[in-house]
Amino acid sequence: MKLLESLTKIPRRIIFLTIALAVAIPLVIPIGIPVNVMPQSKRLFDAVESLSSDSKPVLISCDFDPQSLPELYPMLLAVMRQCFSKDVKVILMALWPQGTGMVEMGLAELSQEFEKEYGVDYAFLGYKFGVAAVLLGMGENIKGVFPVDYYGTPLDSLQLMKPTRNYNDISLIVTFSTGDPGWRQWLLFAQSRYGARLGVGVTAVSAADVYPYVETGQVTGLLAGMKGASEYETLVQRKGYAEGIFRASQGMDAQSLGHLLIMIFIILGNVGYFYTKRTK
Amino acid sequence: MKKRVPLIICMFLGLAMIVQFFIPHSISAQFYDHTTRWYIAIVGFAWVLGIGSIIDHHTTRIRRKKESWYFSYVTLFGLAAMATLGIGWGIQRGSLFMTFWTYIVLPLGASMYAILAFYMASAAYRAFRARTKEATILLVAAFVVMLGMVPFGYYITPRLPEFAEWLLSVPNTAAKRGIIFGVAFGSVSTALKIILGIERSWLGGGAK
Repeated sequence: MKLLESLTKIPRRIIFLTIALAVAIPLVIPIGIPVNVMPQSKRLFDAVESLSSDSKPVLISCDFDPQSLPELYPMLLAVMRQCFSKDVKVILMALWPQGTGMVEMGLAELSQEFEKEYGVDYAFLGYKFGVAAVLLGMGENIKGVFPVDYYGTPLDSLQLMKPTRNYNDISLIVTFSTGDPGWRQWLLFAQSRYGARLGVGVTAVSAADVYPYVETGQVTGLLAGMKGASEYETLVQRKGYAEGIFRASQGMDAQSLGHLLIMIFIILGNVGYFYTKRTK
Repeated sequence: MKKRVPLIICMFLGLAMIVQFFIPHSISAQFYDHTTRWYIAIVGFAWVLGIGSIIDHHTTRIRRKKESWYFSYVTLFGLAAMATLGIGWGIQRGSLFMTFWTYIVLPLGASMYAILAFYMASAAYRAFRARTKEATILLVAAFVVMLGMVPFGYYITPRLPEFAEWLLSVPNTAAKRGIIFGVAFGSVSTALKIILGIERSWLGGGAK
């Protein structure tokens, strides 16, 4: 019965090693577990799907850094793939300094799949410090906050930005957010004050905070963590906007096994705990 | 005088911003537009303060040879190198700045966060014990949400993700709304105290 007792004292190294294997193996040999799509992910997909090439542009804000890359970057790519496939215009920006790097990386990756013209099909505003002032200012005049784009080109000289004055000229705002500043500020300043339509993609740990606003209808759709990203990839794939195995879908195999293993460890710990408690 | 002038500015602008929010007139809109531009200009100075502070902090560490002081050289070198590359040769795609960012900053940041998975697994194993009734409810809820959040859960039973969704949408939302209301009322009362000059600690001299 020492075995049952030892279940409460599994060495940390064993936990680390098994987690490492559970995460690494599916990344090398993908299992391809089919993904079920949750309603809130479908709602965001449908919101973008309802747009066309004549619609007002979609504003995507990359409010994250490399630490959240596995969860949020696949969302960025999937939403942009959908927009570019449907010829929906896209305006990109960031509330995090490192978000600009994410946008640049995404644009470099997608430029191999889509032939889109800068300034006509998409524009990149860059990063600006002072979140409240930036988001409130954009509600009045985007060009007042961003006189030039990320590359230093005046916004007035970009065809896409000429008719775009404020949130009224944006069909949907999508923020990929890992903390503050992020979805909460977009909700406070753009959605609540100016009535902008807001879609949110967050890391799994932040998802519970967004749910109250999904229920009120203030958030149009929610992508929660890597699962949300893989659901969106699945929807994009089903519509034929992209092919192949995608980052989040592959990552879900690793995450599924990781979660399963953590649960097994928790069960083992509790079995050992109850046995020890009974014998004492 | 040193305290009265900032208090008057704070009170005037605080009340003016509240009043303008409820007046949809063009003069009110212009005032709002103008103040947000001022705000952007003012917060820009925070960068100068931030960079100055980080340089000061790390040079002091090096000078006084505090624990792990040599890492401060790495911070200062990183700051100087990235600033020089960005300002000197641009931050566009293909630039040296972006190359450094892609091949150094990005993998380092992602690795730091990835390590969390191991600590979380170990912490969950040690902390999640059904010691009390409340802990058991928490444990069961965590199990359902964890399983519901991965495709495995759907294949155990399609009801599992639905139940996880219900947990997040109903009990979680109810609790969150209570917290949000509390925070909102607290924020409003603090803001009013600052605007009316009752709360003065932001002036730097305590409550007096």
